[in-house]
Amino acid sequence: MEIQVKGLRKHFTSEGKIIKALDDVNLTIPANTIFTLLGPSGCGKTTLLRCIVGLETPDAGEISIGNEVVWSSAKNIYIPTEKRKLGMVFQTYAIWPHMNVFDNVAYPLQSQKVPKDEIRERVAKTLSFVQLKGFEKRPATKLSGGQQQRVALARALVAEPKVILFDEPLSNLDAKLREETRKELKSFLSKLQITAVYVTHDRVEALALSDTIAVMKEGQIIETGDPKKIYFNAESRFVADFIGRANLVSAVVIEQTESNTIVQSSLGKLKCKKADFPNGEEVTLCLRPEFIHPRKGTAEGTAANIIPGKIETLVFVGDAYETEIRCADMLLLARLEPEMDLESGDQVFFEVKPNQCLIVAK
Amino acid sequence: MAQRHKRLTYSLIVLVGFLTVCPVLMLILGSLSEGLTAFGTFTVKKYIAAYTDPDLFLVLFQTVVFVTGAASLATVLALFLAYISTRTDMPFRFLFKIIPVIPMMIPHILFSISWVMLLNPSNGILNLLIRQLFSLDHSIFNIYTLPGMIMVEGLLDLPIAYLIIAPAMSSFDVALEESSHVCGSDSFRTLFKITLPVLRPAILAAFILCMIRCLASFAVPSAIGMPGRIYVLATHLYRMVSTGFAADYGKAAAVGVSVLVSSIILIYVYRYFTSSSEKFVTISGRGYKPTVIKLKKAKIPIFIILLTLSFVLIILPVLVLIYISLVPYSMVPSAKAFASMSLKNWITVLKDPISLLSLKNSLFLGVFGATLGIALSTFVAYVIVKVRTKSAGILETLSFLSFSFPGIVIGVGFMWFFVRTPLYATIWALLIGYIATYLPYGIRPLTSAFIQIHSHLEESSLVSGASYLKTFRRIVIPLLTPGIVSGWILMATMFFRELTLSVILSRPGSEVLAVQILRFSEDGQWGKLSALGIIMIVVSTMLVSLVNFIGSKLRPME
Repeated sequence: MEIQVKGLRKHFTSEGKIIKALDDVNLTIPANTIFTLLGPSGCGKTTLLRCIVGLETPDAGEISIGNEVVWSSAKNIYIPTEKRKLGMVFQTYAIWPHMNVFDNVAYPLQSQKVPKDEIRERVAKTLSFVQLKGFEKRPATKLSGGQQQRVALARALVAEPKVILFDEPLSNLDAKLREETRKELKSFLSKLQITAVYVTHDRVEALALSDTIAVMKEGQIIETGDPKKIYFNAESRFVADFIGRANLVSAVVIEQTESNTIVQSSLGKLKCKKADFPNGEEVTLCLRPEFIHPRKGTAEGTAANIIPGKIETLVFVGDAYETEIRCADMLLLARLEPEMDLESGDQVFFEVKPNQCLIVAK
Repeated sequence: MAQRHKRLTYSLIVLVGFLTVCPVLMLILGSLSEGLTAFGTFTVKKYIAAYTDPDLFLVLFQTVVFVTGAASLATVLALFLAYISTRTDMPFRFLFKIIPVIPMMIPHILFSISWVMLLNPSNGILNLLIRQLFSLDHSIFNIYTLPGMIMVEGLLDLPIAYLIIAPAMSSFDVALEESSHVCGSDSFRTLFKITLPVLRPAILAAFILCMIRCLASFAVPSAIGMPGRIYVLATHLYRMVSTGFAADYGKAAAVGVSVLVSSIILIYVYRYFTSSSEKFVTISGRGYKPTVIKLKKAKIPIFIILLTLSFVLIILPVLVLIYISLVPYSMVPSAKAFASMSLKNWITVLKDPISLLSLKNSLFLGVFGATLGIALSTFVAYVIVKVRTKSAGILETLSFLSFSFPGIVIGVGFMWFFVRTPLYATIWALLIGYIATYLPYGIRPLTSAFIQIHSHLEESSLVSGASYLKTFRRIVIPLLTPGIVSGWILMATMFFRELTLSVILSRPGSEVLAVQILRFSEDGQWGKLSALGIIMIVVSTMLVSLVNFIGSKLRPME
């Protein structure tokens, strides 16, 4: 089911200051996709999710799920949480400690007054879907973090909702388990015809899981798009910086050619990916560390997009070397293969491809 | 939702505010009035009379000695027992974790009186025994002295000091001690240079709390102090309202105001220490592995000391009660004594209409009062933990105010109020007084229970399609059950044995057990007293076990 959010506003007052958790948010979440709300903590992403599920009441605006308006300030509509027929996985999992796995998962069906036999059948089916077959009698307190997470997912899925919401569901797992669970979650969700709204502050999680990402900042949605668009083709400097590590360089647009935009920066004149800015506009150049491949020596000739520099620091981090290259007045971050022959102090040069040179607004 | 919360918060503020502020206000107004019947004509005469009383200086001096003495004894004993039970290789250490809290289970008035029966100079059993053994013509011990009072009160306050000190001692970071050893200090030096200084806030908090309890204590001053004509503030107050031809509630209120003020000051000092204690006692998240101190040669002597102490604490008082309840008068255990044993005292008590009425009243107050008190506490705790508005903060302050109330002073305050209502001299006056005075003891376990219920647990139930009512019934109440059960037990046992408030508010027809026991003690009817005392202990133990059992049935956990 599609979710529509129109003009949603929610302000809090804390210690006399007004905090705009949601500042006129407009959003359409298409049906049957995995949609991620990504942003730093305090950007309003969780508040937005809680407004959709009905645990938080907005100040103004309208929310509709499918064809039904579930909340509207103008039409004075409020459908309480328990009537919205959604599934949700909480950050703390919220597994009820006084019930066993079966009772936890059966709870939504019991609320719908489903016959007992059918409950047993559907709980068993859902538990085997999340690979917890045979765990019915296990007390909730005797589950590991990963198992609790799957029970929470089973409970959210058992009533076959059309929409499932996730509030940072992986943030309580340790790094290794988080990666495994993320993959599992992706495969679970892709098997179902379901709209998933996923809240996270972890960019890798967002990139790996989502069909669409909406990046939020200070109660507003800054940019929406699929993971590749957000990573390679961000429109704003905030998004480019937040979604991955980036070298940000000030530049001025000097020329628009048919397929490229030419800028002047302290790294010299660079041919970049085409971007719609007028000549003379001050912009920011975004170079991802993984696209910088320095080689020893000095550049021959004056080919375009070749930048000379000097290795300033070199740190081994296991799967790669992280290095800082001094280029003019800038220090550029780069990632190097673990097997390479560079040392601190080496003179190097590297070429950046025009379509790996992203221009965003200043 | 918010509207509903607001209404709940305000009605609770009114209710709890009435319960806690009313007695204080009436105490102050009463102290400025001519007398119970002449309420409202203001005068400072009572203050002048109370504070120019020539006895007052001695009373104050004895109060200070009694309070500091007993609090020090309790704290030192608690420290010793906590150290032994958490940090040494003492055999049967688990026993020494139970022993310090045992005095909680015996009503204070019974504990005090059993010591009187052991050590009073005329027919105390231990005294008689020693006289017989060494053919002396006078008794060696006299319980009716300040040291006697301090000893018994110190033992009674041991549990509270232990419950504060022991957790702090077992949870502090052992690395602090280990680094002291690395720096070249032995165990002894480490104890005095590192362990005790780090624990200082917990120790001081225990000491202050014991002082508050000693100041409010009435059992020891009445059962031991009064026969020896050693008066402290609590008994000084009691003397004014209960003896002589004209009870002077105005003068009592005038003295009570300063007792209340000192108690409130002590509570603030206590809160200061408990809030700063987090700065000192560092609890590390790592698995706790205590370094066990080897006692070596000291093991056996300390073990014997501890065994004696536990004998004195638990077994002796109960044994004395059983023994005295069976013999016709206080006599040394002998063949003759055993030959003359009978159930005469028991039969007299069970036929005594006032004793039976007091048992009935106490049972009613315990069961019904605790139920009512816990119901109120549940709502108050809910507002304090889950609503968290500014007015919820006011409610929290209000509800913990009565923590510092000495029962006897609050009783005088309530007296000024109830005498103006039809509740005067009824059991309902006691019920209201009990709940007002002991409300914090019900709220404490429930706030911690509510804190453990993460709001996500309720929210996920709503998302699952359950209504508010169903969520409350299926999620909140089951998770709250342990808190409700322990709060109920705490309140019921406190109400069942209540003495200090009752001696002021109980009137013919509304007698309660502890007061009836005090009356027997004043008349020297040890036999009947012991029989009634044992009935009291047995009934209260049965009540606690029953509720514990029901509580475990209600909880499907584990």
